Amino acid sequence: MGSFLRSFRRDVGSSTPSVGATPAKKEPLALPITPLEKMLQEMGSDSVRQDGSDKFFGMENYGNTCYCNSILQCLYYSVPFREAVLNYPTRTPIESLEAALAKNLRYQNFAANQEAEAQAEKQRLANAQRPGAPPAQPPKPEDKDSSEYKKKIALQSLPLLETKNNAGSYGMSESLFTSLKDIFESVVASQSRIGIVRPQHFLDVLRRENEMFRSAMHQDAHEFLNLVLNEVVANVEAEAMKQPIPSLPPADTTDSSRQSISSGSKTPNTTRWVHELFEGTLTSETQCLTCENVSQRDEIFLDLSVDLEQHSSVTSCLRKFSAEEMLCERNKFHCDNCGGLQEAEKRMKIKRLPRILALHLKRFKYTEDLQRLQKLFHRVVYPYHLRLFNTTDDAEDPDRLYELYAVVVHIGGGPYHGHYVSIIKTQDRGWLLFDDEMVEPVDKNYVRNFFGDKPGLACAYVLFYQETTLEAVLKEQEMENMNASAADANEAAVKPNGFPQPAGLAHVHSASQIPVQDEPQRHTGLRRAPTAPQLPTHTEYPGPDIEPSSPAVATPPPVPPIPETANRPLSPKKSDIQSKKERAKEEKERKAAEKEMEKQRRKEQEARVKENQRREEAELKAALEASKASKADEDRRNPTENGKDGDPKRSSNGLSRLKRGSKSFSQRLGKDKESRASSSGLPSVPSAEPLTPNPVPLEPVQQLSPRKASPPKESHVVHKPLGQDDEPDALKSPKGDRAGHGKWRSFSIRKKSFSILS
Amino acid sequence: MFVLPPPPPRYTVPVAYAAGASNGMAVPVVETNNIISHPEGGCSLQAGEGTYLLRDDLHLATPPPHPSEAPVMNPNPLATVPAPPTSGVKLSLVSIGSRIKTPTPSVDGVGAASLFGDGNPALAAPPVKEGLKRRKPKNNIIKSSSSFVSRVITHETATKRLNDRNPDGLFAFANINRAFQWLDLSAKQKEEPVTKILFTKAHMISHDINELTKSTSHIDVVMGSSAGDIIWYEPMSQKYARINKNGVVNNSPVTHIKWIPGSENLFMAAHANGQLVVYDKEKEDALFAPELGSPSAETMKSSSGRSPLQILKSVNSRNQKTNPVALWKLANQKITQFAFSPDRRHLAVVLEDGSLRVMDYLKEEVLDIFRSYYGGLICVCWSPDGKYIVTGGQDDLVTIWSLPERKIVARCQGHNSWVSAVAFDPWRCDDRTYRFGSVGDDCRLLLWDFSVGMLHRPRVHQANARQRTSMIVSNTQHLNRHRADSGGNRTRSDSQETADTYNSYDPTVRHPVEPRARTALLPPIMSKIVGEDPICWLGFQEDSIMTSSLEGHIRTWDRPREGINDNYSYSPAISASATGSGRADSMMGSL
Repeated sequence: MGSFLRSFRRDVGSSTPSVGATPAKKEPLALPITPLEKMLQEMGSDSVRQDGSDKFFGMENYGNTCYCNSILQCLYYSVPFREAVLNYPTRTPIESLEAALAKNLRYQNFAANQEAEAQAEKQRLANAQRPGAPPAQPPKPEDKDSSEYKKKIALQSLPLLETKNNAGSYGMSESLFTSLKDIFESVVASQSRIGIVRPQHFLDVLRRENEMFRSAMHQDAHEFLNLVLNEVVANVEAEAMKQPIPSLPPADTTDSSRQSISSGSKTPNTTRWVHELFEGTLTSETQCLTCENVSQRDEIFLDLSVDLEQHSSVTSCLRKFSAEEMLCERNKFHCDNCGGLQEAEKRMKIKRLPRILALHLKRFKYTEDLQRLQKLFHRVVYPYHLRLFNTTDDAEDPDRLYELYAVVVHIGGGPYHGHYVSIIKTQDRGWLLFDDEMVEPVDKNYVRNFFGDKPGLACAYVLFYQETTLEAVLKEQEMENMNASAADANEAAVKPNGFPQPAGLAHVHSASQIPVQDEPQRHTGLRRAPTAPQLPTHTEYPGPDIEPSSPAVATPPPVPPIPETANRPLSPKKSDIQSKKERAKEEKERKAAEKEMEKQRRKEQEARVKENQRREEAELKAALEASKASKADEDRRNPTENGKDGDPKRSSNGLSRLKRGSKSFSQRLGKDKESRASSSGLPSVPSAEPLTPNPVPLEPVQQLSPRKASPPKESHVVHKPLGQDDEPDALKSPKGDRAGHGKWRSFSIRKKSFSILS
Repeated sequence: MFVLPPPPPRYTVPVAYAAGASNGMAVPVVETNNIISHPEGGCSLQAGEGTYLLRDDLHLATPPPHPSEAPVMNPNPLATVPAPPTSGVKLSLVSIGSRIKTPTPSVDGVGAASLFGDGNPALAAPPVKEGLKRRKPKNNIIKSSSSFVSRVITHETATKRLNDRNPDGLFAFANINRAFQWLDLSAKQKEEPVTKILFTKAHMISHDINELTKSTSHIDVVMGSSAGDIIWYEPMSQKYARINKNGVVNNSPVTHIKWIPGSENLFMAAHANGQLVVYDKEKEDALFAPELGSPSAETMKSSSGRSPLQILKSVNSRNQKTNPVALWKLANQKITQFAFSPDRRHLAVVLEDGSLRVMDYLKEEVLDIFRSYYGGLICVCWSPDGKYIVTGGQDDLVTIWSLPERKIVARCQGHNSWVSAVAFDPWRCDDRTYRFGSVGDDCRLLLWDFSVGMLHRPRVHQANARQRTSMIVSNTQHLNRHRADSGGNRTRSDSQETADTYNSYDPTVRHPVEPRARTALLPPIMSKIVGEDPICWLGFQEDSIMTSSLEGHIRTWDRPREGINDNYSYSPAISASATGSGRADSMMGSL
């Protein structure tokens, strides 16, 4: 049974390009199989996992939105973050998701697209040959290895996934968080393993709420990351404030959910999951050289910005910012003990290590001579694993081991234009290159091509490290390069009951997953069957862990497309409230159950599986119908569409895009250069507002602000980040305080900053 | 800086040159002559014993790509085609004079140790008649029609130069890009190579000279290439042989290659796929299939990589007609370097997975597996007395390990990037104190001193300023909390573990990573940026320190001469130990 499903799914997943064309059965252009498809086939595909770890979707670029695509991909493959987004506040009912998907997932007819394009091309040539028009350029033969070509093909052949606002179905009002969740959810729920996400809705929300991103200009990926994390925190908290504190659900379920709170950082019920993943604490120790009194101050950070040096390593850059710094001359320290400005020594150390360490390499540096930002092509090496040297004595787990799992690469000569891609380590499919629409598997060594010294202007810009253990690393190393045996291992990992378990490399993430998510829940595995009779109500009701208010807020879920879905014995919500313990108990009970019961169940299961098959077939049919219909539709529209939409897209590729970006970006230079220089500015600050030109008077005020009191740890309210008192960041602070109230900032630690200010 | 006017180009593309010159376009001439410069007052190294003055900087010319290679005009930064491996310039130095130069401290059991493969009659060397000339490889490299070798350029007066030279002078063999140069460092025009070999595509990554067989008329050089092929080259007769041709035994790049000490014919090559292969320079290749007779082949199957060493062909195998002589698989990860212990019993291997594996290579056993603090290990060497192993890696640390105690001794912090080479200075080591150096991707050369007496008492304020060694400074912040239990704890856990592992059948001890708080930290006595590109090789000679860099700069520093540099001499180490560890710590922080 399982194998049947598997092969069925494989058809859907890996040979999607042909799906649209199946009725025709005479595809004139056989698409060469892409490296990604090849890999997926070779790795042997079990059924699609429900945790989204084996979905590989490109993202459409709407013109300079690669900053968004690269960061979103990194966040999607940050396993605990993805899980948290999916599970907060609840998982969307699968029915509503599927209803949305039926509308939003569009399989394409590659042949038709090709034809249409050829038509458009002809048309254009014809137009061009009209008298008066400039002589037509002979169309250049397309380079089939170029990424532009690959992206174009991908955009024409892969299933397209529109994401629409679905916030109502989980009881939230639309925000950047919900649009992010919508993207994640629809990717996870889609039956296709590959495809292209169209994050138009996400961008709409982003641009609606943040003026800075409203233009089609090149943006800073790190600023965007910072903004997304801050917005997610803000959205989640705002939502929690809006809703009454959830009255306690029935006792047993709270227990289980509490367990998941304690065991994993990621719980749907708490709003602090972003903090628990990305947040760490820095301590600045300042020793007054007059009275030798040491004062400490804690700051929190969501990511660290480090200054770069030529021929250095990430390790050394991190150590540098903990190096001692003298506060003297104009930057004397106001000592509360001896009461006055004194010379002092200051050093920054990490007191609490984050679970995910986002490192921003400050490649864009303001140069005084040129009066603008310049990109540094320093060679900065980064290892696959990392520990932090600059921890305080009392830090918990100071030897914590991190592994590199995502790299955002900036390609281009300067800060005002260029392109971003990301290279991401996936759970068990190795490293992949995400370049907008294109997704391609790459060698592990490929990650090392972006130290900054290679020709081609591509440098690592943001590095994502996540906590891991030595055991996990050892296990993974054993698996590496054993391609032949890796496939075997995958097969072996499929348990007899047809229940796939992440093979090999998956363990890495297991530590950071909450237990609930350990297993795919929704699919046709047999395991969930026994539990179903024990909790029969769950099929009908939304999970008890949903805040009571949410059903009221929620719009009625869309009608499921196919009635069989009602028979699905398990909705994902239910899984959320099940703790491991409970499951273990049930497992025991199940073993103890009589064999007759088992037989009966098996029958039931078979029936259910059959039903599922039928349903899926029906779904497929429906999809085919839909695609046929839409194809016909498209065929009618395509010529015009390609004339309008297609052209800008084409022109937005490659060099022309760079040009456009650079031009428009340079306009912002005057206003934003300082914030860019430190790259830790508040992204939400509207750049239209002219910057207060006189930040200097502010500085003493900041300096005099009481230092000894450590800010309340719990609050999400204003933290005066360290950056504000001793670096050019201060330039932004007046605005930042107004507009960015309650925001978090990344810390950029720079030495010599005093001289810049003075 | 004094730079010679560029000599006439040697390597031009005549057609392109003519076309370019007539059209006023850039002329595709690539300068290929080595350039020597003598930076005045350049980069001197200050150590306790005096000042090392930079003698010269020999810049090896990077050869242009082979004409068959299409020039890449617009490199695609995202191209996913894997680039072939290459390596910065490394040197193999040899003096064919009779004078023994390296001080050899008493190493226990050198004489007693048997040689690799001694127990196997199949490996017994054919009787060599005394006085007979050494066997040379078969093919003449100058007349070679092989597609592997592009061309060979010999110096016009090569024979004369070889006849006239002082036999005690140093020869250097250096790889750069696809070229391999034979330099006479004692010659007046040392920038002119005696011979330069240009290979077609392959880059030589590692090479070594057989100390046993060298003579005025014979030098055995082996070099391993990025293609996996190995060249046995005899420069005096310009003969060569190709081993592991087209990767018939192992088709992954050779990352490190060394003659097995005491052997005329056998050498060991580390391949990038985690295999250590012993070849015989005289033997023919044969397609390799793992020998199933050996028991470890079985264990390999069952435990799929659990065992730290899979013997795919044992040195004791009866089948020794062809290469390889022995083949071991250590891991699925790249072996970055290995080093034979001075007593010729042990082998220290470092890998990309961050492990240091100490082997008894005669018994084909892995004894210990240590782990880097994090990241891969890159380089390894032994102390002259064989008691300590020093490694460098991607954690920016140089780490000292003790062989007899089987534990980490100290971590040395001072590099700002990955450490690419480490070497002991045997002229400044005695039975109690050790001097070693390290170079790295941060373009720095660092010198370190450590002494035995202090290693076990990490926190001592002894005022033994008479010793020229630096002291071990433990991380002060952790001292108070951890000093009391650190020593005891360490030995206890260590012994426990050994006991545990002896109970099972596995001779290998897997050591955990020691936390930072429990490990002594050593600051360098000297740290200096010596170039503008990453340094990738370091060597100590009786009269000099030498480094070579990624882009081909070979720098030589003269050792301080007794009496001359005395007035300059100062010792940061001593002052540090005199004023206490706090200062030493802060000094380190500023490095």
